[in-house]
Amino acid sequence: MERLKFIGKRLLYLVIMLFGVATLVFILTKLIPGDPVTANLSQRALSDESIVAAYKAKYGLDKPLIVQYLLYIKSLVTFDLGTSIRTNNAVLDELQRCYPATIELALLSIIIATVLGIFFGVISAIKRNSIIDQIVRAISVTGVSLPSFWFALLMLFFFYYKLKVFPGPGRLSTSFSAPATVTGLYVLDSLLEGDFPKALDAFSHLILPSLVLAAFTMGLITRTTRSNLLDVMSTDYIRTAKAKGLNQTKLIIHHALGNALIPVLTVIGLGLGNLLGGMVLVETIFNWPGVGQFAYQSVMSNDFPSIIGVALLIAINYMVINTIVDILYGIIDPRVRLS
Amino acid sequence: MKKKIMALVLAMAMVVGATACGGADKAGSTKAGSDTTAVSESANGNTVVVAIGGGFDTLDPGQVYEKYPQMIINACYENLFKFYSNDGEAEPCLADTYELSEDGLTLTIKLKEDVTFASGNKLTSKDVVFSLNRTKNLKGNPSFIADTIGSVEAVDDYTVKINLTQPDSAITSKLCYSAMAILDSEVVKENGGTDEEDAAKKDSAQSYLDSTSAGSGKYILTSYTPDSEIVLEKNEKYWGESTNVDKYVIKIQDDANTQMMTLSSGDIDIAANMTADTMDELKGTDGIKLLNNTTKTVSFLMMNMDEKIGGPVSDTKVQQAIRYALDYKGIQKICGEGTTTPYSIIQAGFFGSLGERTTDYQDVDKAKELLKEAGYEKGFDIDLTVCDLAMEGIALTDLAQKVKSDLAEVGINVNIVSNAWAAGYGDDYRDGKLGFTVMYWGIDYNDPNVQLEFLPGGVVGLRAGWTAESDPEIAALYSKAVNALTTQEREAALKEVQEATYEYGPFIMLAQAACPMAYNDRLDNVEFSDPYTVDLTQVTVK
Repeated sequence: MERLKFIGKRLLYLVIMLFGVATLVFILTKLIPGDPVTANLSQRALSDESIVAAYKAKYGLDKPLIVQYLLYIKSLVTFDLGTSIRTNNAVLDELQRCYPATIELALLSIIIATVLGIFFGVISAIKRNSIIDQIVRAISVTGVSLPSFWFALLMLFFFYYKLKVFPGPGRLSTSFSAPATVTGLYVLDSLLEGDFPKALDAFSHLILPSLVLAAFTMGLITRTTRSNLLDVMSTDYIRTAKAKGLNQTKLIIHHALGNALIPVLTVIGLGLGNLLGGMVLVETIFNWPGVGQFAYQSVMSNDFPSIIGVALLIAINYMVINTIVDILYGIIDPRVRLS
Repeated sequence: MKKKIMALVLAMAMVVGATACGGADKAGSTKAGSDTTAVSESANGNTVVVAIGGGFDTLDPGQVYEKYPQMIINACYENLFKFYSNDGEAEPCLADTYELSEDGLTLTIKLKEDVTFASGNKLTSKDVVFSLNRTKNLKGNPSFIADTIGSVEAVDDYTVKINLTQPDSAITSKLCYSAMAILDSEVVKENGGTDEEDAAKKDSAQSYLDSTSAGSGKYILTSYTPDSEIVLEKNEKYWGESTNVDKYVIKIQDDANTQMMTLSSGDIDIAANMTADTMDELKGTDGIKLLNNTTKTVSFLMMNMDEKIGGPVSDTKVQQAIRYALDYKGIQKICGEGTTTPYSIIQAGFFGSLGERTTDYQDVDKAKELLKEAGYEKGFDIDLTVCDLAMEGIALTDLAQKVKSDLAEVGINVNIVSNAWAAGYGDDYRDGKLGFTVMYWGIDYNDPNVQLEFLPGGVVGLRAGWTAESDPEIAALYSKAVNALTTQEREAALKEVQEATYEYGPFIMLAQAACPMAYNDRLDNVEFSDPYTVDLTQVTVK
């Protein structure tokens, strides 16, 4: 009951927040210099007043700003995110097209980042100040500070171009056609089709971009796990457990790690939210048709319905993830109450 | 516990390893650790994979105007006329015969009678009327192409009469343009298309035409994932002779390094969006052929003729001084192999072009002398605005830097001001508010008349504050070239245009860019084409 009440409250906040985000992004897109007409029409078309007028009329850009805003909010209430000025398709359709590609990449990235991050964090804490600790810390700092586009090119260069152990850019090899869309996640859709080789191919295409995207979050998780585990290990109840003769592995897994993981969960949540917003440069280099590329193209075209659509999607991502993380707090540590 | 964890880690490593190798096999990259001097064997068979750049959002012929969609439209649709070779003229395609009236105002075209669309419908004059009217009335990016078309009439099932509002020496070239492709009117109408005057409001066929094509071309668009991939499959009902390429998979890969790697690995067959650096990397690689043809895309320096906006660069003597101060050879070097500098505003390679400006045109002493005559003996300070665009992979900011260093030699102190195209530069450029800028121009349609817009009163001329009233004699050359009825008249008019702008006017053409491309030598007939980048209907697999 307490949990349902909590979720209900969060949903209410979500509606208020989405309204705020839509209003804020609408104002910002109108404040920045640049005109969607200039950004989307060719140099020749811009010289023809009748073409410019028809274009403005088509997307309602000829109406006063306040009317544009009210019309947008009105359509938003009916879950209509409007029509993209750039592609002329419904923004909702565009997001439905590119979001699954980003989800697939983000999920594998966060799994890799979480597994390796916690593993390295624990090792580093156990072997504090040893050479292993130094190496792990160096890896995590490198992961956090590597520019992702450069790391992406490097990974492609070595593991695809030189060593040829991973496939190149894109979601599937040319020999396969895209699976029929059920979820939009190629691995899952291929499995639903019963085409295991295609699923394997789709999964293999995920590995390099996922590793690149995981590097940053993994670095953060490693550092957070290490520092929190060290804090927990110095508490009285751990010392008591040690004094009772409990072995180190049991002590960490059963007693220390649970408490140390609460701040790590926050980092994982933020990392996933960040990844679900799309990563422009990595998506460009790996030819990945995700939210990042869509957002970038929309910004470059001053396509305000699409920009607001992406902003709302990102806001929803964070809100949902934060709610899940808050619920998980309570599961990991029963002392944490949702209220 | 330790053993269990170890087993889990090993199992995961094995799955990832197996998956990775499996994926690489499918991609055709089977030679682990092989050197880079030979391309990996392609596993694509009669499927050809082409990598292009992005920046476009639709494949509706009535809406496209960007570079790469022309390649797709050319493969899926056909026009009344077509450029079969890059240096040639527009030749009849769907047109069987044609005749231009003596006054140049009526073009009567007899259509080929055996042409069918991919749907099986016969192509008749009603499809031509629908397609040309739709493009004109959609009021989209390419609608200007139909500006001189007053009306289109279907005389009978296979005869079309195009009535022009004025003689237009470029009309057959314009009819080659993707926006003038002939659509299956029945299919397009069924899916929301209209050619009525209110098509801009009522036509809703774009989403259909983004998912499949409705043309009579050799290929059918079977899938389009924006910013990612386009798939074309052979039109089994094609009325003419097909090639042995069964399928094209067109990957949108903006990054030239990615294209270089995927081409070397055998994953793609044609890399159409390369750069000078990535071409160098591929030099000497067995199995890969390089192309570096000169395009008709041109970068230029614009100096506003309005003194209030251009300041010192509005002075024609200063403009000529700058013309002398520039190091054209150095600019070509920055732009890479295949680059040239046109004689004046009409690019080398166009009908009637006077070719190239000599690379030793630079004369610093003459430039200083002219500045002295103009009253700027000690030079002057000026802002040079540049945006974030690139011309065939060459950043305009790089060209601006070169201009800055060349002008420093004659005492002009240039301050480079950067601004994004979408964040204000585009508006200022369109509205003629920029005093001094570096910009580029990609041709809209493959005809020298497209360059007449650089004349006073033309679309680009006005952006430089060059009004027809300020230079009526030069402005008159616009109509003279457009209205020319014979080849000789046209050639003479174009010559006059070039002579008049060789050492005069607000534009200095900096470089005519090359289009670096590379392809797997398992293909034949891969040639650069200005209108289509590569004519996919001519490519074959060996």
